[in-house]
Amino acid sequence: MMNRISILLTFILTAYGVNGQDKYFTKSGKINFYSVTPLEDIAAANASAVAVLDTKSGSFQFSILIKGFEFENEEMQEHFNNDYMESDKYPKAEFKGQVLNTSAVNFKKAGNYPVQVKGLLTLHGVTKDIQSTGTIKVDGNALRANSTFNIQVADFNIIIPKLVRDKVAKSVKITVDTSLEPLKG
Amino acid sequence: MKRLLLLFLVIILLLLGFYAYRLYTGRVPSLTTVDAEISVSTTDLIHAFNTDSAGANKKYLGKVLSVNGNIKSIEKKSATVVLGADNISTAIRCSMDSNFVTALAGLKENENVMIKGVCTGYIPDDSGLGLGADVVMNRCVIEKNIK
Repeated sequence: MMNRISILLTFILTAYGVNGQDKYFTKSGKINFYSVTPLEDIAAANASAVAVLDTKSGSFQFSILIKGFEFENEEMQEHFNNDYMESDKYPKAEFKGQVLNTSAVNFKKAGNYPVQVKGLLTLHGVTKDIQSTGTIKVDGNALRANSTFNIQVADFNIIIPKLVRDKVAKSVKITVDTSLEPLKG
Repeated sequence: MKRLLLLFLVIILLLLGFYAYRLYTGRVPSLTTVDAEISVSTTDLIHAFNTDSAGANKKYLGKVLSVNGNIKSIEKKSATVVLGADNISTAIRCSMDSNFVTALAGLKENENVMIKGVCTGYIPDDSGLGLGADVVMNRCVIEKNIK
């Protein structure tokens, strides 16, 4: 009898253990953006994104603070916050979506797996559908989720003044790079 | 002819100098040279955001803060010092200025510290996973290590 209980207990505990490994997160995800024009290249980096991936359901989301983007040049950073992104009014951007083909990823085997991501990006108070490709790298207990996509500045009601219109790209490249660890629950 | 050449050289030097000046002054300054606008304790800052994040945003967002309190954890990999208490899920995540990363070695968990940084906002815990909410500070420098 005792033996059966202990087998049952082991079974339940292992099941829970496996369950606990479904969710991965980071609070120091890196999100960069690049605006490239013949006149000027602008880059900014943010290393404090909160990202969560559920390997079972495929749900992937991240939140990021607009004021956390760092530029080389102070003036650019001020324009970005005050004029374009209005970060006092819209302090946060977020993505809520889905990795469409988690079944193609073997989370138990090290490797790089190409994935497709789809979801809603909310930026500057506007929510838009985003679809992109990315990679999930499985490395032991840790995951690394990467993606690069372009957004049209005008789609998010971001208005670039005429004076600098040639210096800021209409289409801006966003890179997402998150090193995720298992959530201990 | 010689004079013209000299004038030309002087103009070029001046332009170069101006360019270098712009390049230098245009940089985002280190916070070591900037005074904090508001001094606040870890507990008060966390409480402000947890109870009224809109009001706290109005007061603290984008401001240079001097925050003092307990070090909850240190994340060397991301050069982040987390301030707060074990019994409160909300914490203050201080992302260090790249010139201050080595200063992390001198810090220990559960010691008190005073950190200056720009408050970039608040990320509530809406994942439903118990990750805890965060007040985020950027470009942080260590003001005082209170042993």
